[in-house]
Amino acid sequence: MRISRHRLIVIAGRMLVLAAILTGAEFGVRNGILNRLFFSSPTEILAAFHTQFAHGTLLPDIGMTLIETLLGLAAGSFVGMAAGLILPQLPAISGMIEPYLMLLNGIPVIVIAPLFILWLGLGISSKIGISLYIVFFAMFIPVYTASLRLDRTLVNALHVMGANPWQIFWKIVVPSAMPSVFTGLKISGGLALVGAVIGEFVASRAGLGHMILYASGTLDTPTLYAGIIILAIFAVLLSLTVDALGPILIHWRFRDEK
Amino acid sequence: MLESRNANFSFPGRRGRIDVLRDVSLQCQEDETVALIGPSGCGKSTLLSLFNGLRTPTSGAVLINSEVVTGPSALVGMLFQQNTLLPWRSVIENVELGLEIRGESKRSRREKATRLLRQYGLVGFERRYPHTLSGGMQKRVALAQTLAMEPRILLLDEPFAALDAQTRIIIENDVVKICRSGKRSMLLVTHDIVEALSMADRVVVLSRRPAMVKEVFQVPFSRNAKSVADAQSMPEFAKYFKKIWDALEISIGVTEQAS
Repeated sequence: MRISRHRLIVIAGRMLVLAAILTGAEFGVRNGILNRLFFSSPTEILAAFHTQFAHGTLLPDIGMTLIETLLGLAAGSFVGMAAGLILPQLPAISGMIEPYLMLLNGIPVIVIAPLFILWLGLGISSKIGISLYIVFFAMFIPVYTASLRLDRTLVNALHVMGANPWQIFWKIVVPSAMPSVFTGLKISGGLALVGAVIGEFVASRAGLGHMILYASGTLDTPTLYAGIIILAIFAVLLSLTVDALGPILIHWRFRDEK
Repeated sequence: MLESRNANFSFPGRRGRIDVLRDVSLQCQEDETVALIGPSGCGKSTLLSLFNGLRTPTSGAVLINSEVVTGPSALVGMLFQQNTLLPWRSVIENVELGLEIRGESKRSRREKATRLLRQYGLVGFERRYPHTLSGGMQKRVALAQTLAMEPRILLLDEPFAALDAQTRIIIENDVVKICRSGKRSMLLVTHDIVEALSMADRVVVLSRRPAMVKEVFQVPFSRNAKSVADAQSMPEFAKYFKKIWDALEISIGVTEQAS
């Protein structure tokens, strides 16, 4: 694939911005222009990575947060999607529970998090629980809304062909909701990570949130930055993974050859 | 044979029941095309939904081959005004949809769909998705989808309204040919007198809501015409156009009086 001239300039520009930030931080911190309590130089951050690694805690911390995030994302989006698809088919039940779901969705997750710690303990399950909880709503709301606004003409056309409710669900309701599932996933990726880290902030013995919180308590600014950088990389990788699911979930939108 | 006997349809509104259809009795024989024409909003589509089994009449009855219709029938195929192709299915998967719903095997589905696509000039488009096709092509696919189920009765709810004039004549022509060659019954809802006269053996004029059968015209020339365009250039065409227009115009006059 040929890369256009314009694209090359943009990529070079991005590299320059990164280089400027790195050198700026390095020199700023070394010359005392930037206070060491608030900022760290790239070399100090690299050293912090090394120290954490040598302690043998870096990889387990990364692994812990990764597992919490992925399990919260998988379970939360599955349950959210299923509820969003099925509830519109049961108007009586959805009418009864919808206001409570919306009420729960309105409560900030940070105040719900301590409850999850109480229920599920200090370990990994409470973090997965919190992550699942926020991901559920991020998935449920768009899928539920899309399923409520189903194209009745398509449903009628299938009825005339003799389709039963089960066939209508699988042949229309589910595929119709796929664009919303994709939207839900895009939002959920980041939120799953937020949920895991919030859980670790509230109470934990391991994980990146734990590492950051500990570094902040001991005024270990380089480790704090190291944690933030890993989380940022996580977030980017998650979002790239979710984007890659697009051609599978909504394949027809990617076929526009004339 | 498709038949309605004193079919009434009404639904509850804010101020009492709203009557949509009143004592509609009509018949469509085997190998006959009947056009239903009436002012817009008169209840033509509601009448079709009694025939396709999506609604049941409040009183009276709708029958297919002398059996009361209680739900969708395998004998009935329908073409809608809107695009009803599923956007996530390729052309061939859309044509197979009805057969899939009936539980036919993958192989027999594929065979039938391939044959129909060849018949309707859609070879090479099997793997395309509906949104990449023109409106005329989409209608052709929808037609193939409906015909794949081998219906004896075709219900058409203004399916050509959104097409451009030339595509429209071509597809109308195809539909008429397909219908006659299979000796099917066809009920065509339209608000276009030209379309009604060039496709139908009989034109039923409905009144404004509540729709009643106002007048029925036997069209003697459409079956002798070689094509839809040919029918439109028959000498009697203009005379019939005027007759139907007059029948409709009276309805329009009534609407104006009422408002």
